Amino acid sequence: MKNDNKPDQPAKESTSEETTGIVGPNITRRTFLKGSAAVSAGAIAPMYLAGISKSFAAKGGAVKIGHIEDLSGNLAVYGIQKDHAAQLAVSEINAGLTLKGGPIGSGGLGAMSNHATSAPVMGNGDKDLKVVNDGGKLSASGMAFVEDEDVLVDSGESGILGREVELLNTDGQSNNNIWQQLTKKLIQEDKVDCLVAGFTSAEREAIRPIVDQFKQLYIYTNQYEGGVADSNTFCTGAICEQQVIPVVDYMIQKFGPRVYTIAADYNFGQLTAAWTRAFAPQVGGEIIGEEFVPLSVSDFTTSIAKVQAAKPDWVFTLLVGSNQSNYYPQAAATGLKYPMASTVNMAQGYEHRRFKAPSLDRMHNCVNYIEEIPTARNRAFVKRWYKMFPDDPYIGQMAQNTYFSIHMYAKAARIAGTTDQEEVKRALESGLHIEAPEGTVFMEPSTHHCSHYIRLATADADHNVSFVREWPSIQPWWLQRLGVNLVKHKEYKQYIPDEDPFFKS
Amino acid sequence: METDALALSLTYQFGTNAAFLFLAALGLIVILGMMNIINLAHGELMMMGAYVATITHNQLGLPFPLAVIVSFFAVAFFGAILELLIVRRFYGRELGALVVTWGISLILGQGTLLVFGPFMEAIKIPGGSYSYGGFSYSEYWLILIAISIALIAGLYWLYRYTNYGLQARATMQNAEMAKALGVPTNHVYTLTFSLGAGLAGLSGALLAPTSTIAPFMGQQFVAPAFITVVVGGAANVISGAVGSSVLLSAIKTPIGMAYGAFLGTVALLVASLIIIRIMPDGISAAIQKLMDRRRTRNTK
Repeated sequence: MKNDNKPDQPAKESTSEETTGIVGPNITRRTFLKGSAAVSAGAIAPMYLAGISKSFAAKGGAVKIGHIEDLSGNLAVYGIQKDHAAQLAVSEINAGLTLKGGPIGSGGLGAMSNHATSAPVMGNGDKDLKVVNDGGKLSASGMAFVEDEDVLVDSGESGILGREVELLNTDGQSNNNIWQQLTKKLIQEDKVDCLVAGFTSAEREAIRPIVDQFKQLYIYTNQYEGGVADSNTFCTGAICEQQVIPVVDYMIQKFGPRVYTIAADYNFGQLTAAWTRAFAPQVGGEIIGEEFVPLSVSDFTTSIAKVQAAKPDWVFTLLVGSNQSNYYPQAAATGLKYPMASTVNMAQGYEHRRFKAPSLDRMHNCVNYIEEIPTARNRAFVKRWYKMFPDDPYIGQMAQNTYFSIHMYAKAARIAGTTDQEEVKRALESGLHIEAPEGTVFMEPSTHHCSHYIRLATADADHNVSFVREWPSIQPWWLQRLGVNLVKHKEYKQYIPDEDPFFKS
Repeated sequence: METDALALSLTYQFGTNAAFLFLAALGLIVILGMMNIINLAHGELMMMGAYVATITHNQLGLPFPLAVIVSFFAVAFFGAILELLIVRRFYGRELGALVVTWGISLILGQGTLLVFGPFMEAIKIPGGSYSYGGFSYSEYWLILIAISIALIAGLYWLYRYTNYGLQARATMQNAEMAKALGVPTNHVYTLTFSLGAGLAGLSGALLAPTSTIAPFMGQQFVAPAFITVVVGGAANVISGAVGSSVLLSAIKTPIGMAYGAFLGTVALLVASLIIIRIMPDGISAAIQKLMDRRRTRNTK
């Protein structure tokens, strides 16, 4: 929250109201803040939109949101969820609805959101931690907490700036070449106003050069290994400092220091494992074994024997795709009974629903979203979702990210008063927060990453999910640590943990 | 004690790896090995077997062994229809068959996705596990190893000692001549393709509990299946496939255990490359040549 509203640029007095929706290039974050200061908490429709009736009033054609996800192939299980999330968000925007939220003034996140923020709580035993039981009741909490009945409110207009939103959803077929073709097509032929896409880090890195070439506004909604500092890219998923560190810390305290990592062999798995390797010693842990498994591998006999030979206290599984999720039933059938932790499994591929108990017994994952979150706002979201898609099997972490990201884009475009991509990027850098189903999410301007509400979810022997710890706001602090400030300096790269001297010791 | 346990574990891993390769290749042994059809829908036939087993076991409550048998017949029936309608037009046109079976695989995969969604509830792996000296062993994989051996014996018997086996071998060797001698070659083709499809369904059903039940699950088996059959060679497909799955597993297992799954996979691919380079017609042809040479030496 320190970075959101320093008056580091001179404020210009030209506001965007009553114009035709085109904002001059001089608008600054300060002006956005001024405009929104008059708006009370919750209602975020800026003043200049008041009075626009609920039919698609403005001219200029539809606002085009390009969307690529894998609707077929090895990764379809995640892609279909995300595609449905995009459809839900767009239909809500067109129906005149929005999630609460807006730019944050000098009061910081606490001023408009539902809880006062505090630093991430870590490594302090159980005494300071808020615990949510199975029924969703809070126990012992020192934190002001108000639960919203509903975070979906009237936006005061249909679509965005009175224009209908059109979703151009395409199928990347789990194939990086097709991802690149589709990205070029969506940018050059369809001229989308915003591109929302990407499941694997390989897919993201395949299309990011194209995104940068055309300076396309791009939102990557997946949880991933972190480190992307790209002026055109906004990452709305949780990253390693938000997921790996809390879960590794917890697991080492609870089960012991000997960690065995088994990870998918591509940039996500490799870099997340590097994070674990770098961080575990800081909290007294030790990586006693590591194995990287190609995505095509589906027979885990040898990997399971290797885990047994290493005799760890717990296993960190970073497995991706339907082939690799075979690990769980195979390990269970072999009688492997180690506690497990992950940043991906359970919250994305709902392995705890697909595989028979007790394959996922004692699996732990620090998630920013999982369907089972017991809050009222999430129950309302889940209800809306299944009303639109009654046959869906599960709502995963990334689906929720895509959902709130598209709502966040709509908010930013309204604040910018235009769909001009450079203006919307600046609006996204204005210190926006949004009340997502998970909780409050804050788009951190300098790094283009989000703070998240993180919960430690665990499955028991019957695959019931419960939450053992929660952190209402964990900042994406690592890129800040490295001095990344995309508001001031443009960058187009991905940092890796090796570049941080902190991790070299 | 430690080395005991490790040796036993390596033996078990070797057995499961070999059984996995053999089961993945099972249907393809017949369709590619004997009929010489590059069947890219092999994985989807296995997927169908897994789906039939999942539906009959999980939803209709059939016991798992029975569900596996139902899968065999269901996919065999589907294979017969496929042969009669499509595949039959592509005998002798290998590349045509390749393209058409690829198309079939796309239709089956995407069709399954549309009808059944991205996932089915998994089948619980039957049986428990044993453990010895820090390693443990899945009962079900031990059963799969036994079933693989039984299937090898069954296939050998079928092609060696039955009337159908004789006719099938005659047809595949020289269809014109077989026809002239009164073999109903069209029937034999249909029956053989249907058998190959059924076997793919059977092994798909057998491997279903160890796997994610998903529309594109078959693709994980395609590469191992083709490698096993091609390395095995066409001179005697059954012994070839057995030989290649045993040999490849013997290379993959220790390297995988020592250096991880990635290098294990690399070792398997490099080994296949070398074997195909020095034995272009596969292991079975090399064995046959060796036996022929010995025979001629004995007669001299």
